[in-house]
Amino acid sequence: MSKVVEISPTTRHEGHTKLVLKVNDEGIIERGDWLSLTPVRGIEKLAIGKSMHQVPKISSRVCGICPIAHTLAGCEAMEASIGCEIPEDAYLLRLILQCANRLHSHALHNILSLPDMYLPGTDVKINPFTPEEPVRTVALRIQRLREIAQTIGEIVGGEAIHPSNPRVGGMYTNITPRAKAKIYDLAKEGVPLMHAHMDLMIAIFKNWDARPTAANASGVEVEKTEKFGFHDQGYMAAAPLYASSSLDLDPQWSPERWTEVRPWDWYMGEMEIDLEDPSYPFGGTTKAGAKAWPQMEACTGVPLYDGAPVEVGPRARLAKYRDYDRKGAMGLQIARQMEFPDTLYAMMEAVDALDTSGSVLADEIPSGDGSLGWCANEAPRGCDVHLAKVKDNKVQWYSLLVPTTWNFPTCSRALEGAPWQLAEVIVRAYDPCVSCATHMLVVDEEKKVVAQKLIQ
Amino acid sequence: MVLGNYKSAVAARSTDKGILSASQDGGIVTQLFAFALDEGIIDGAIVAGPGAEPWMPEPVVATTKAELLAARGTRYTISPNMALIKEATRSYGLDKVGIVGTPCQMQGLRKAQLYPIGMRDVPDKIALAIGIFCMENFPYQGLETMVEDHCTVKMESAVKMDIGKGKFSVYTERGGLSQIPLKLTHKYEQPGCHVCLDYVSNLADVSTGSVGTPDGWSTVFVRTKVGDGVWARAVDAGCFETKPIEEVKPGLELVTKLATDKITKNQKTVEARASFGVKADGSGKALRNPYL
Ligand SMILES: Cc1cc2nc3c(=O)[nH]c(=O)nc-3n(C[C@H](O)[C@H](O)[C@H](O)COP(=O)(O)OP(=O)(O)OC[C@H]3O[C@@H](n4cnc5c(N)ncnc54)[C@H](O)[C@@H]3O)c2cc1C
Ligand code: SF4
Repeated sequence: MSKVVEISPTTRHEGHTKLVLKVNDEGIIERGDWLSLTPVRGIEKLAIGKSMHQVPKISSRVCGICPIAHTLAGCEAMEASIGCEIPEDAYLLRLILQCANRLHSHALHNILSLPDMYLPGTDVKINPFTPEEPVRTVALRIQRLREIAQTIGEIVGGEAIHPSNPRVGGMYTNITPRAKAKIYDLAKEGVPLMHAHMDLMIAIFKNWDARPTAANASGVEVEKTEKFGFHDQGYMAAAPLYASSSLDLDPQWSPERWTEVRPWDWYMGEMEIDLEDPSYPFGGTTKAGAKAWPQMEACTGVPLYDGAPVEVGPRARLAKYRDYDRKGAMGLQIARQMEFPDTLYAMMEAVDALDTSGSVLADEIPSGDGSLGWCANEAPRGCDVHLAKVKDNKVQWYSLLVPTTWNFPTCSRALEGAPWQLAEVIVRAYDPCVSCATHMLVVDEEKKVVAQKLIQ
Repeated sequence: MVLGNYKSAVAARSTDKGILSASQDGGIVTQLFAFALDEGIIDGAIVAGPGAEPWMPEPVVATTKAELLAARGTRYTISPNMALIKEATRSYGLDKVGIVGTPCQMQGLRKAQLYPIGMRDVPDKIALAIGIFCMENFPYQGLETMVEDHCTVKMESAVKMDIGKGKFSVYTERGGLSQIPLKLTHKYEQPGCHVCLDYVSNLADVSTGSVGTPDGWSTVFVRTKVGDGVWARAVDAGCFETKPIEEVKPGLELVTKLATDKITKNQKTVEARASFGVKADGSGKALRNPYL
C-alpha cells in the first residue's frame, strides 16, 4: 500500500517549493511531484508595452543569484528581435560577466549542498558554518571565490546583483586599463583556489555516491538506492558557456521544438497525506490528514522540448558538448564542479582579448518591426530562454523559459526509486532557483482556464 | 562650531609653480591629490573636469596629474561629482577613491558611506575627501547671465571667476576685469543652496577655501585622521608652504563671521518652510525639512 508524505517547505535552495511523495512500504518513492509554491509575479505580462530598454532591467529582478542570465538573455532577445549586432568588445565584457556569475553561483551552491555531505573517509557531516578545520578553510575559500567573482561582475557589469552596464545594443561603458588589470589579477588569484576547491568538492560528492547509506540532517540513516536520482529524460543546452540566439548562423535552440503543458496535465491530483515524520529536519513533515493537490498548487507551467521534459544545467551542457555521461544526482553535482575551471580560464582569455578603447555600443540600434527574436543564455542552472517581439522600441510580446522551470518535471521523475528521506538531496542537485521558475502569467485562451482554476 | 571639527587650521599654498599657474587659490586641492596619487594613497580622484560648454564642469575620474591640472579653478556652477562615486569603483576599477566637492557633496559622500543605498562597495573605497568652502552655487544659465549680461564678458573670454569682498569678478584673456556687486547675483542662486547649513565642508577629510588668507593662499582645515595623515606627509614632502593661520589676515575671524552669516540666514529659511503654506483651518502647512 503506498502512502503519501509531504515535505513543505523544502530548504537550502532559492525560493519556495514542496515535495509531494507517494512512497511504498519501504519508504521508496513511487511517484514524486516537486512543485513551486512561489507567488507568480507576472513579469511577462507587465513587460508588454514597455520599452525594450527597460524590460531586461525588470527581468533581471526575477532573481538575484542569476540576474546576469536574465539581463543578458533579455537584452539579447531584444537585439535578436530588432536585428542588432553588438560590437566585439561589448560581447567580451558580457562574456566576462557571464563567467563571473557562474563562478559565484556554483560556489554559493556548494554552501547549500555541503550539509548533506560527509567529510570523505569519515562519518562526519559537513557544517559549513563551523569554526573548526578542515571545514573552516573550505568555507573561507568559497567566500573568497565568491568575492572575486562578484567583484569582477561589478567591474564589467556595473553591479554584481542586477548589472547596470548591459543595454540593448551592447554596453553603456567599456572598462579602463586599470580595471582590466584588476580583473586579470583577481582571476589569477582565483585559479589555484578554484582548483583546490573543485577537487575537494568532486571527492566529497563521489564519496557520498559510494556510501551504502546516508543520513538526513536529523541523523536518520537510510539505505541508498543504486540509481539514486536517475531519470530517462533528455538534455537540453544551447552553448557550453555563454549563449545562442536567433541571430546566430547556426542557432542551438529552436522555438519550434518547444511546447508547454499546464500543471493540470502533468502533476498528481488531489490526495490525502497519510504518512508523517515529526523528526524530519526541521519541524517535521506535513501532518497526516492534510490535503495536497499538486495540479492546482503548482505555480509554473511545464515546458517540453520535443514533447518531453528535459534536464538543463551543468550536466546537460557537459553531456551535449563534452560527452559527459555520469548519471544520477551526484553525476549532476560533479558536472557542476567540472564547470569551475572554464569560468576563470574563459574569463582570462576574454580579458586578454578586450580592447579597452574599443566601442561597446552598436552604431545603429533598430527599433524593431515585431519579428520574433530569442536568446538562450546558459545560466548557472541551465538554459534560460527569453523570447521577444519588439516593434517601435516597445515590447509587444515576451516570454521566459527559465532553467528551473525546465527542471521541475525532470527532477520530479528523478525522485522515483529513492528513499523519501533523501528526496531533497536530489532536488538540491538541480540547484533550483524557484523565483526564476515562477515568473509567468498565463496569457492565451487555452491557458486562461488554468488561471481561473487556480483562483477558485 | 560653525567651522566644524578640525585638528588644525593653517594658511597654505602649493610649492609647485606649475600647479599655481591656474589654480583658484593656493592650489591645495590639485596639489594634495597629485601627492596622494604619487604616493598611492589614492588611485584616482573625482574632480570637475572641462565640460561641453565654456565654464561648464563635467565630473571626471582623474588618474594622472595632467587630468588634475585640467580641472583646476572654480566653476561657479553645479558639477555633480558624486554621480561618479559608484562608477569609479566599477568600470574604472579604483580601490582608493579621492573626491573633491562642495559641503553638500561631502554630506552626500558621508551619507553614502554610512547608509549605502544602492552604493554597494563604495563605503570602504573612499580614501581622501577634499571639501571646498561654498557660500552658494549657480545653475549654468544663471552663471551665463551673470558673466555675459551683467559683466558683459563672453564666457569663452573669461579666464578666471571669483567671488570675494562682496563682488563677483570675471578676469578676461586680454587682461580685463569686470565686477558686479554680489547683490545682483542673488536671484540667480540655486534655490537649494538656501537651506544649506555648512560653509567650510565640515565633513571632509581636509577642507579648503580662499576666505581668511591673502590672494594666492588658501585657508586649510585638517579634520580627520585620514586628512591629518595625508596632510602631514604632504607637508613633510615639501608640497606646501604653510603659515600659522593666526599670523595671516584676515584669518579665521572672517571665516567664522561668513560661516555664521550663512548658517544663520539659511537656518531662517529652513524654519520658514515649516509654515510656508496655510491649511483650510488657517494653521500652517509645512514644506519638507530634510534635517528633521
Ligand atoms: C560653487 C563654489 C562656491 C565657492 N564659494 C566659496 C566661498 O564662498 N568662500 C571660499 O573661501 N571659497 C569658496 N569656494 C572655493 C574656492 O573657490 C576654491 O575652489 C578653493 O579655494 C580651492 O582652490 P584651490 O586653489 O585649492 O583648488 P584648485 O587646485 O584650483 O582646484 C579646484 C578644485 O575644485 C574643483 N571644482 C571646481 N569647480 C567645482 C564645482 N563647481 N563643484 C565641485 N568641484 C569643483 C575642481 O575640479 C578642482 O579639483 C567655492 C567654490 C565653488 C565651486
Ligand atoms: S551652498 Fe550648500 S548646497 Fe549650495 S552648492 Fe554650496 S554646499 Fe552645496
